[in-house]
Amino acid sequence: MRISSFASASALALILSSGAFAQEASLDLVEPIADYKIYVSENVAKLVEDTTAFVAAVKAGEVDKAKELFAPTRISYEAIEPIAELFSDLDVAIDSRADDYEKAEADPEFPGFHRIEYGLWEKNSTEGLEPVADKLLADVKELEGRIASLTFPPEKVVGGAAVLMEEVAATKISGEEDRYSHTDLWDFRGNFDGARKIVELVRPLIADKEADFLKTVDANFDTVDTTLAKYKDGDGYVTYDKLTEDDRKVLAAAVNTLAEDLSTLRGKLGLD
Amino acid sequence: MLDPKDLRRSSPSLDRRRLLKGLGVTAFGGSFAGVARAETEHHSVADAPVANAASPLDSVPYLGIHQAGIVNARPANGMVASFDVLAKDAGELETLFRLLTARIAFLTVGGPVPVLDPKLPPADSGLLGPTVRPDNLTITISLGASLFDDRPWLAPLKPKHLQRMTRFPNDALDADICHGDLTIQICANTQDTTIHALRDIIKASSSQMILKWKQEGNVPVITPGSDGRAESARNFLGFRDGSANPNSSDGAEMDRVVWVGPEDGEPAWAVGGSYQAVRIIRNFVERWDRTPFGEQERIIGRTKISGAPLDRRDGSEFDVPDYAGDPEGKATPHDAHIRLANARDAAASTNTILRRPFNYSNGVTRSGQLDQGLLFICYQADLERGFLTVQQKLNGEPLEEYIKPVGGGYFYTLPGIRDAADYVGSPLIAAVRGA
Ligand code: HEM
Ligand SMILES: [Cu+2]
Repeated sequence: MRISSFASASALALILSSGAFAQEASLDLVEPIADYKIYVSENVAKLVEDTTAFVAAVKAGEVDKAKELFAPTRISYEAIEPIAELFSDLDVAIDSRADDYEKAEADPEFPGFHRIEYGLWEKNSTEGLEPVADKLLADVKELEGRIASLTFPPEKVVGGAAVLMEEVAATKISGEEDRYSHTDLWDFRGNFDGARKIVELVRPLIADKEADFLKTVDANFDTVDTTLAKYKDGDGYVTYDKLTEDDRKVLAAAVNTLAEDLSTLRGKLGLD
Repeated sequence: MLDPKDLRRSSPSLDRRRLLKGLGVTAFGGSFAGVARAETEHHSVADAPVANAASPLDSVPYLGIHQAGIVNARPANGMVASFDVLAKDAGELETLFRLLTARIAFLTVGGPVPVLDPKLPPADSGLLGPTVRPDNLTITISLGASLFDDRPWLAPLKPKHLQRMTRFPNDALDADICHGDLTIQICANTQDTTIHALRDIIKASSSQMILKWKQEGNVPVITPGSDGRAESARNFLGFRDGSANPNSSDGAEMDRVVWVGPEDGEPAWAVGGSYQAVRIIRNFVERWDRTPFGEQERIIGRTKISGAPLDRRDGSEFDVPDYAGDPEGKATPHDAHIRLANARDAAASTNTILRRPFNYSNGVTRSGQLDQGLLFICYQADLERGFLTVQQKLNGEPLEEYIKPVGGGYFYTLPGIRDAADYVGSPLIAAVRGA
């Protein structure tokens, strides 16, 4: 049988390659997590405030104003998506896309931000959006309440940095998130800020041991910043179709690499 | 005369002996050689049909003056994956080439995968278990025109005939599956091995390149006849494909047909490389299956059952049609695929290409038809004289009613990795640096 000699070979590999890489989870995380909870609470409070204004504009039939408020309102949601996603019912209600529904845009079940985005940009109208807007505001407030009473699981917080990058890599770099308004770069901003915040919070815990790792991660975040900065327009960003093919590639590679690197953050902090 | 099918038809035990020799010394030293010996005995005793002869221990050396994966026989699975490359200067391109070389060296030779702390993501996808075995894997790296065109420091070194694929009259090219800065052709006995290699490379190169498209395919496994000859595998039109390919085990013939040499007027760094033409060609199989048998044979120019030429139907696929004796095209119509592709005269002999295609089967189209076809790959020393000329001759052929090229591109396959200290593409990097 071949098994035996393979087994001994991999046992050797185990001895050679495992070792003092990851440390055990420790009390050190208590403070970063408390700080993160404050960050999330601030963002969700801002989300409620912005959504209130956005929903008011939709209900008043002010199409232009609602369009203007759409992208800035979403930024705070995108920044805390890893936590919002812990409540999958709310994440679906707030941020799901037409493809998630059998009849796509025409599906009466299609809710949330993207349902309103569709009406505003594709129909240039707020017709029929009133109940959707009311529901969105209620869901966002519900999210705020649930977050207030949530005990933040450390592995979800630390893992959230990678989750944000996985989201961008899998379904955002293509420009399919905000497909009607093309305000994807605003979402990117939120996602990157949210990921970077997590890295900043745990940085002191790994600064000594993982200097090279942090250097690479910082460099990739910087690449993202410089690239996004080219597309700044006032307080926000130009539409996604303005992104050049070269810059899209640069962003894609930075995001893929951040997803690879940040996927090790949990382990580096000794979290299972 | 040398048999054009030598490679494919070499007996399994011979193959195996060659393979063991390679493995014993290179890959795992003593322990693996022992394993491999047991494997041989098993096969010689068990009398397994050759169709099941592929072994995970089969290996193709990745070192040599040419890259592997071109003149060696196709294993059952193949794919082409195309990437956009980010490299902004020679240093970054060298880093990418070295990384690819390291992955090729590991994946094609095999060995235990590193085991990390379980709190970390694993180093390896684990598709092949704790020990990667070579499984006949070859990984072949080629470069697209866009890599050169978009980089002023690289552009002067672009191979003479390398160009962006443009539309032929029957094409319906889909931008999502065309072109690319770099292709990786991955071939192996099993699909798991090709996918494992692709995932390994994507993971390792995430900061340096981005996957653009990929197409997988297969070659049906063939059981040789009583005379020991293996017939060519059939494509999705049900015809034998590969019968008239040049003999890839004939080194002189490959030097003429496939490999770029010092006399070809190419940049010096390109010697030992080849042009790779990739075409994703959909076959309208439902329609083909509704076409009369005789017409199918006239469209291709060979008999469907045996692959024999139409002027000697009782012959074999290895027989050569006599067009001089059939000037009116009574046996083989003038517009038959094989007669257009190769008129078998002196001029046509300068247009020989080495075809290395895989059948693909992707799913169902919006119209409810099968999305099947040919992942056509061919290699030649001169893209103009080879693929481009042959395709121009094929333009307008009756077969076009049943096929639709939808993707692919032209690439330059880098010269080989000469030894363990070398890396793929090193002559190009040296040329950029003016060394
Ligand atoms: C889906 C598309 C295609 C199908 C189904 C197909 C099928 C075949 C078949 C059945 C043969 C006869 C057996 C053999 O010698 O291999 C053949 C031969 C050949 N094909 Fe194709 N082929 C396709 C596309 C192409 C393309 C794109 C080219 C090149 C531009 C090409 C070039 C040739 C050549 C050079 C031969 C050998 C002719 C000879 O020397 O007698 N084929 N093909
Ligand atoms: Cu989102």
